[in-house]
Amino acid sequence: MSAPVVTRGLTKRFHGGQVAVDAVDLEVPAGSVYGFLGPNGSGKTTTIRMLLGLIAPTSGEVELLGEPMPKAHLRVLPRVGALVEGPAFYPFWTGQANLLRFDAADRTADPKTRKARAGEALERVGLSNAAGKKVRAYSLGMRQRLAIAVALMQRRELLVLDEPTNGLDPQGTREVRHLIRDLAGDGTTVFTSTHLLAEVGQVCTHAAIMNRGKLLRQSTVADLRAELRPRLVVRTPDLGAAAETLQGLGVTELKTTEETVEGDPGELPIEKFAAALVAADVRIHGFGLERPSLEDTFVALTGEGFDVAE
Amino acid sequence: MGVAQRSRRWLVPVATVAVVAGVGTLGPVVADASPKLPSITAQDLLAKVQTAKVDGLSGTVRSEADLGLPAIPGMAPGSRELTDLLSGQHTARVAFASPDKARVSLIDNQAEQLWTTDGTSAWAYDSSKREATKLTLPAHKTAKPEKALPKAYDPQAVAKQFLDAIDPTTKVQVSGTEKVAGRDAYKLRLVPKTDKTTVGSVTLAIDSKTWVPLDVTVMPRTGNDPAVELGFTSVSFDVPAASSFTFTPPKGVKVTDQKVPAAREHPESAPPNRGKPVKPGKPGAERPDKPTVIGTGWDSVAMIRGANAAGLASNPAAGPLAQLLAKAPTVQGSWGRGKVLTTKMVSALITDDGRVFVGLVTLDTLQAAAAKAPR
Amino acid sequence: MSPSEAPAEATEVTEVTRVTATRPSAGRHTVALFISELRLVFGRARTQVGLGVLAAVPLLIGIAIKLSGNSGGAEGFIGQVAGNGLFLIVASLGLSLPFFLPTAVTVISGESLAGEASLGTLRNLLTAPAGRSRLLAAKMVALTVFCLVATMTIWVSGLIVGFILFPVGDVLLLSGSTVSLGEGLLRALVIALVISLSLLGLAAIGLFVSSLTSTPLAAMAATFGTFIVLGIMTAIPQLHAIHPWLLMYRWQSFADVLRDPPYWHEIGRNLLLQAGYVAVFYTAAWARITSRDIT
Repeated sequence: MSAPVVTRGLTKRFHGGQVAVDAVDLEVPAGSVYGFLGPNGSGKTTTIRMLLGLIAPTSGEVELLGEPMPKAHLRVLPRVGALVEGPAFYPFWTGQANLLRFDAADRTADPKTRKARAGEALERVGLSNAAGKKVRAYSLGMRQRLAIAVALMQRRELLVLDEPTNGLDPQGTREVRHLIRDLAGDGTTVFTSTHLLAEVGQVCTHAAIMNRGKLLRQSTVADLRAELRPRLVVRTPDLGAAAETLQGLGVTELKTTEETVEGDPGELPIEKFAAALVAADVRIHGFGLERPSLEDTFVALTGEGFDVAE
Repeated sequence: MGVAQRSRRWLVPVATVAVVAGVGTLGPVVADASPKLPSITAQDLLAKVQTAKVDGLSGTVRSEADLGLPAIPGMAPGSRELTDLLSGQHTARVAFASPDKARVSLIDNQAEQLWTTDGTSAWAYDSSKREATKLTLPAHKTAKPEKALPKAYDPQAVAKQFLDAIDPTTKVQVSGTEKVAGRDAYKLRLVPKTDKTTVGSVTLAIDSKTWVPLDVTVMPRTGNDPAVELGFTSVSFDVPAASSFTFTPPKGVKVTDQKVPAAREHPESAPPNRGKPVKPGKPGAERPDKPTVIGTGWDSVAMIRGANAAGLASNPAAGPLAQLLAKAPTVQGSWGRGKVLTTKMVSALITDDGRVFVGLVTLDTLQAAAAKAPR
Repeated sequence: MSPSEAPAEATEVTEVTRVTATRPSAGRHTVALFISELRLVFGRARTQVGLGVLAAVPLLIGIAIKLSGNSGGAEGFIGQVAGNGLFLIVASLGLSLPFFLPTAVTVISGESLAGEASLGTLRNLLTAPAGRSRLLAAKMVALTVFCLVATMTIWVSGLIVGFILFPVGDVLLLSGSTVSLGEGLLRALVIALVISLSLLGLAAIGLFVSSLTSTPLAAMAATFGTFIVLGIMTAIPQLHAIHPWLLMYRWQSFADVLRDPPYWHEIGRNLLLQAGYVAVFYTAAWARITSRDIT
């Protein structure tokens, strides 16, 4: 099976010359949970709109489930569940009525099972009790879940979810992540964008990092993590002595903070450092190797901090 | 699909505009293509017209007049109807059955005016007022059919006589063929030889099977739009059922009975059937006398005495016609002084001594006629 | 879903699989979107209020005539209402044509695409996928049905009010002849149909304008502005050369149904003109919606 999402040189230049997406080559492996990571305004949503045929690329190609987009959108999109840029509904209709309308728009959807499928989708996102309420009365979190329910009205081969946990409370966020893992367990490929690094770390098998319209990196999450070497961190009041000792043992990139000394331990086994520090009468409050976070990876790739306002 | 490919989609609506505009403007032209008919001389054509005999017909007549008459607001209702008919477009459904049944219904905007006669009685009905007028016709009208033709009547001879008579003033020719109301017709064109008249040409379209005139077009000497066009837009030569000429006054309609004096043959003239426009007599104080015709042929001018132009012009309270006159330019000559009103087709001269000269002529011709006219 | 619900959830997943497994063989259900579109238009309180206002037109006219005790002095169809309640239908349709009906059509057509764009539901429909051309077709069909329902609302309301307030009987035609009440009702029905078809040109203009923007109010204002400008142009005699091309030039021809026999020429020209407007503005809306970036 070919990759469910492939782009080649995908570029979008808006009127006025601003390049929102710049020659992006994506390849999303089948069965993966693919985290599409980047700060707000990095071109994630524009890329997703092009994937789904909502906007026309300035240049480049998109292949979804092995077929060219947007040419084959009527064949492809019924097999794709999508949530683009926040939940959008008819506020004067109930949640269920909204689901029925969007399902009716898909001519491959069977009208006979429509109500039953809507009920199941609502149940799955935990909105059964609110099915008969007008969307006007929904909270942002409920709308977000209803939007996911739209994508779940049918069995899909690919889910494209743009910021699926946006606006959800911690409990809701946990439930959505759980749901994504479930769906991936059924064999659905999930392409999910987010600006939350933690999300990628928790649910994704693969990740791509976008910044300013460019794709910086695309690989498995494990590879991204492994890219940075673990750091030796020593918590101690005797900062000077500790730094001296470690330097003596060949630790590079030494950094001293108020309470810690850290650095790249090199190839030496960790217990050698402990022994040396004790021998040098350095008081040790804490000692260990720290795995780098994805945020560190991101900072290392982009050279700038991550927008973690939320 | 690229952005450029998508923008090419706009060619579809652009092409649609072209097709719609094309169908709307060129469609009638294509339909009016000249049919192929055997050639015929003007004299033969005129002879045929005289032998034309139809037992009945029905159809839709459309008239369009653009005499360039000034709009005179606030005129009396009667005279407004007159000017209405002399300008703009009108459609009427007409039916006729030999010898004396006729029906004309003038199609107005959400209203209709109907004149119908079945030979014994005639009705006029106005839908906007919901009033009907009944006229009982003199008995003799039904007793005899049309007046019998003289024994020695020879259409060819009459046609020749007519052509000889008008030859000094008018060029007559068969100028081609055209389709009128879906029928093949010859075009008979009459062009005045004088340049004293405002009439450029008069063209009759004559049906090639029944020899009934289907259309008449009067072109002014200047300009490309007809001054008057009156003709069938659809026509059938089947005899209409007798019932279509009867009229039963419906409930709720006010009916007025009116006897017709034997001298008057027609209760009301059919509206599109108009001759030379007549100046409405309003609001002149005394009734003008019978017009005198000065000259012959195209440049003849009618003179009417008794209009008090000076009085009208000096009294703005006399109404819109007076205001119109007050604005009209003044000319003078050996005949005196007066005001002139000119339109594309009609010229009128109202002298200070109360004579009115009207004709389908140029202003110079009108003044020349005035100089010759008796005081 | 909390962990305690996990077992229940597992069974649901298998159910979903069972229900949706039949999808590929379910065939094409093209009509569903069109029906859904009608639900969207007619299910809205705004539409229902608009239809209510239209239904009130015959009631207000009927009461006014009844109260004034008018015995038919007025010209036109209004003057005939007191004598025959059936004319309330015709008079109400005629009086609604210059303003009320176009306003209603403007609101609904201006809303059609711009409303979806402003809510963001256009994205959901297109990724469903509705297909842009099919969505546009569904919008136009819904607008056509709305035009028909709007005029039929007046027809039905006029029938009820007219029959309650006034005597009814044989119907006097413009040509001075009389037809039975049944034929009169049928002719009034034809008038309603002709008027609803007369509104289609405006509906197509509204649909096109609506495809240009994501602000429904702007689309409605622009459509209504276009309507007003066309109306003013129709009223300027100096523009008579282009009058036959103007949207409303032959709108009043519906009354030709009440001639004996009906005079179809002008009505036919009017409907041809409406068809021309629909063709031009529908294809323009199509070009726009199929090339537009949906954000």
